Amino acid sequence: MVIAPLASFVIAVSSVRTRRGSVNTAMFGALVTLAATLLVGWGLAKRTSGFTASYVYLTANVGLNGPTAFQNFEVDIVLHADHLSVVALAVIELCLIGVLGWHRIAGRSEPGPARFQALISALLFGCVGTLLSTDLAELFTFWALTGGATYLMLAHRWGDEAAARSGRIALALPFLTDLFLLCGIAVLYSRYGQQNLSLLVPVLHTTAGWTVRQIAVASVLLFVGVAGRMALWPLHSWLTQTATTAPPAASAIAAAVWPVVGATVMYRLLPIFVNSNADTMRWFVIACGMSAVFAGLYSLVSMEPRKALILAGAGVTAIGAAITIHGFQYHGFTFAVAGLACVYAAAPARAAGELAASNIANAMRTDDMREMGDAWRRMRSSAAVLLGVAIALGVSAAGALAIGVDSRARFGMTLGEAVFVVAFAAMRVFLATSSGPLHRRRAFEPDRVRDAPRASLGWPYWLVLGSLVLAAASLVPAWLTFLDNGKHATATAAAYALWVAVALAGLAAAALSIGRSKDGSLRASSWLSLLPERLESAGQNVLSRYVVNPAVRIVESTERAVPAADAAVARISHVSGRYTVAALHSGDVGVLVVMAVLLSLLVALISPGVLR
Amino acid sequence: MTAGILQAFASLAVPTPTPSTVPGANIFTSAFILSIGIWAPVVMAFVIGVMPNPRGRYDTLIKQIAFFTNLVVLFILFVAYNQFQNFLPSLQYEENRQWLPAIGAAYHLGVDGPGILMVMLSALVGIISVLASSGIRTRVRSYFVLLLLAQSCVTGAIVAHDLFVLVLFWSAATVPLALLILGWGGPRREAAAWRLAGYWGAGTVALVLAVAGIYVATGATSFDMDVVLKAPLGARAEVIIGLALVLAAATRLPLFPLHGWVRDVYSDAPIGVVVVVASTASRLGAYVLLRVLVAGEPDGAKLLAPLIAGLAAVTVVYGAIAALRSIDIRHAAANLALVPGGVTALGLAALTPLSITGSVLSLFAGGMASALVVTVFAILSDRAQTRNVQVLSGLAARMPKLAWLTVLAGLGVLGVPLMATFTANEMTFFGAFRTQPVGAFAVAAGLALAAIAVAVLIQRVLFGPPNPDAPAVSDSSLSESWFLGLMAGALLWVGIVPGGPKIPGTDTPLFDPGVVNQMVANIPEISSPYGGTATP
Repeated sequence: MVIAPLASFVIAVSSVRTRRGSVNTAMFGALVTLAATLLVGWGLAKRTSGFTASYVYLTANVGLNGPTAFQNFEVDIVLHADHLSVVALAVIELCLIGVLGWHRIAGRSEPGPARFQALISALLFGCVGTLLSTDLAELFTFWALTGGATYLMLAHRWGDEAAARSGRIALALPFLTDLFLLCGIAVLYSRYGQQNLSLLVPVLHTTAGWTVRQIAVASVLLFVGVAGRMALWPLHSWLTQTATTAPPAASAIAAAVWPVVGATVMYRLLPIFVNSNADTMRWFVIACGMSAVFAGLYSLVSMEPRKALILAGAGVTAIGAAITIHGFQYHGFTFAVAGLACVYAAAPARAAGELAASNIANAMRTDDMREMGDAWRRMRSSAAVLLGVAIALGVSAAGALAIGVDSRARFGMTLGEAVFVVAFAAMRVFLATSSGPLHRRRAFEPDRVRDAPRASLGWPYWLVLGSLVLAAASLVPAWLTFLDNGKHATATAAAYALWVAVALAGLAAAALSIGRSKDGSLRASSWLSLLPERLESAGQNVLSRYVVNPAVRIVESTERAVPAADAAVARISHVSGRYTVAALHSGDVGVLVVMAVLLSLLVALISPGVLR
Repeated sequence: MTAGILQAFASLAVPTPTPSTVPGANIFTSAFILSIGIWAPVVMAFVIGVMPNPRGRYDTLIKQIAFFTNLVVLFILFVAYNQFQNFLPSLQYEENRQWLPAIGAAYHLGVDGPGILMVMLSALVGIISVLASSGIRTRVRSYFVLLLLAQSCVTGAIVAHDLFVLVLFWSAATVPLALLILGWGGPRREAAAWRLAGYWGAGTVALVLAVAGIYVATGATSFDMDVVLKAPLGARAEVIIGLALVLAAATRLPLFPLHGWVRDVYSDAPIGVVVVVASTASRLGAYVLLRVLVAGEPDGAKLLAPLIAGLAAVTVVYGAIAALRSIDIRHAAANLALVPGGVTALGLAALTPLSITGSVLSLFAGGMASALVVTVFAILSDRAQTRNVQVLSGLAARMPKLAWLTVLAGLGVLGVPLMATFTANEMTFFGAFRTQPVGAFAVAAGLALAAIAVAVLIQRVLFGPPNPDAPAVSDSSLSESWFLGLMAGALLWVGIVPGGPKIPGTDTPLFDPGVVNQMVANIPEISSPYGGTATP
């Protein structure tokens, strides 16, 4: 599972030069990895414990005294495959295969084909390593590798200035959150001297000197680190800003893969969060709930279909994360894995949505939904995919909500609101692009709009189908039992019906709103989008004015001041030297005597025993 | 007489009594391995200096002599590295001769874990600097004499175990390097040379004051590190001495605000000199801090730790922002080269066993990464005939080898996985968060800024659309690719197999016992006064 993507990366980088060859290499690597994953999954079906392989990467004896845990530093490559990691990997591999298949035809105009496919293999390698790691340092290594490959994919169009600029955000923001993750791991190590999760969790409360505050700080750092890569609102801009400038395949992969990886890693880290305190857990749940609602609202006011879908998907991810954390909040709850099932179900739909929206945006030569329309007639396949995506995103959380949340509680109402808004937003994208007339614009002839090449159209369909299958599976307790080997209660049919109804209500509300007046709805969204845009712009201005610009000015002033100071010191030295030489030549002993007296006074003043 | 001479030479090389069977064991050892490493370049410098070279007829021979001298030294030191017994806490390859008994100065050399690592770095850099200097055409003899002398001074400072000898070698390194810059540098060579001399001279003064303080405080009988660094001094004395040491280190490493020489030296020095300065000569600052302050003045080190951590954090952040704002790519690279030094200083400031270990590894990895980033951008600017980042664009397609090496250099500075700097940074951060969490976080934030700077620089220079107004470009030559590849290869090698490759199925090292395995010798002893800081 680890070697296959690595081998395809090495082959792609070293030998393959043509587009077809590179796609085939990447596809082959993904298929072999999928086969290996399914094989491991089949083996796991007959066992309750996972498979483990361990290799020593680094071991150093660093200390003689102090606690034993700190006297040796070891980084082991420990690969542990259990049901959860296998399912997560299978979802990721399916998404990658679908996107690769689409990109093979529809991405012909992208520059640097060999490089792009190689990066996909590298990303897959990183994902496999991340999901199979139980050593935190090793996990971070693979996490950083995956992040690097993601950035390179999102900033793939290096020749384009807009792409390069947005690519920097795709580097800066996730890198910053990755540093939070690293800091969280470092805090834990500095307290416990342990990086292996299975050995760390049992000693969180038994190591001498532990405090709740330390675990809470580590938990917050880890949570922010994971949330950044999952692109939970408000840490979503690295995905939304690159939605229109990055290759569609890159956006689709990033939107689909990282929530799966992030949610799985968060699930593994939750036993640490649980050991902090109830308040910390409660704030995590609140943060995820708010993120879900706000992501949906932001999606509602976004005028670009790809961004809107990314935000809608982020809302679903946040719902899943909230349920997962809620499932760990109280002892005895067993539905945490249902949140993961929700995220896994949404992932293929997110990828499909990006691909279909790209087809439509490219064909209609605009990223503004106000200028789009009539895709149902002119580009039915892509439009149908968008419809499927809307349904999949809407219902993907139904199972998790039915099992884990009381609809009458505040938490349940918040998440229900989020589901409604997400469904509304996703359906809005479909309706805005598919219904209403497609207006003629300058240098744009509507009658020449065609769907993407036929050979690429099937892949988004399969992804949506996969998403719906996973969403249906998430309603079945047996699926959850397979995921975490735990017992799960069945929710009542009414509960399932309720949450599906909430999603359907969102879809219907969108249909009513757009159906009644598409232009009016989009105008209202556009007007409402001014507020968050202004807030974002104001925030960026404040950041620039009070943090970035002063820091840059200080550095630039220092860059000018240092050589000037050096030159001044040099001039003083030069002058004093000339003066000394002149004094010597003139035989002015008096000057020398004065200088000697002054020097002696100075030494005397700074020496102890004279004035002190 | 002949038999006596032969016997004397034979006695120089005896089989090494290595207890375990490792590749490279029982080849040879000698009582003078370290002296060979120091004085062989000096001897060959003398030979080069006196040999006739009418109208540059033997320029190539001179380069070959310099190359093979360094190659032989590298081979000898590599064998020493392989045979180094990492389980011994004491000095190895020790040489101790009385020199100035009146003041207690002795010719005392020896290496422990950090020392053998730095010695290997110096030997490797020797080869690389000679390869990097293959383009020197004027006054070749003088150039290589000074280069060999500089290398021997650096090696001497690393292996010196007597403070007097250390100060001599430390200060002596400045002269040949400044002369090299003055004689063979770029348009602003005078400013660069004088800045180097000024800053390093001030650092030397600080070091002399620190050593003098230690000497006086310990009874003025000996300069031997085994004696003076084990003698307890008062906390006040240690702080004052420590401040002088920090000043000396800050001028050499460098740390903000004593970094003024970096931009001019790295952008106007000859490339071979840049390699020596960026990789080993500058690392001496941190090495002295480790050897004297951390190992010998624990109370002073603890009290000064926040200061060093603060300087480290500011250095990294400053270097990143300055690189981001630079228009000159060599200036940008010079600023990026500050980043690994900041990480090294953070590790020494944190004073935990793990952070000190990370800092020691960072001496090697950070030195190599700094040298690589500075030299690759120097060659890029030479080959592209301009340094202006606003003119350079889209070079990757026309300079594929240099493009790859530039990307590796950027990744090396950032400490990306698979690079040696990643392991070093990981150990440093993991160790630093216990005692210097704010400094560690600030350095981490600086690394994030450095990542943006690297991304912007690489994107603009390598991957933008080609600029039709830019001068013609050419890819790196074979020798340039070789020495850049050696540096990148060293970073990748240590990053991928830090514990050394093993024969499959066994624990026997293949031909490299592993940098991490060798460098930890004596680190537990160095960090033992700080072991209590690891207690939760």
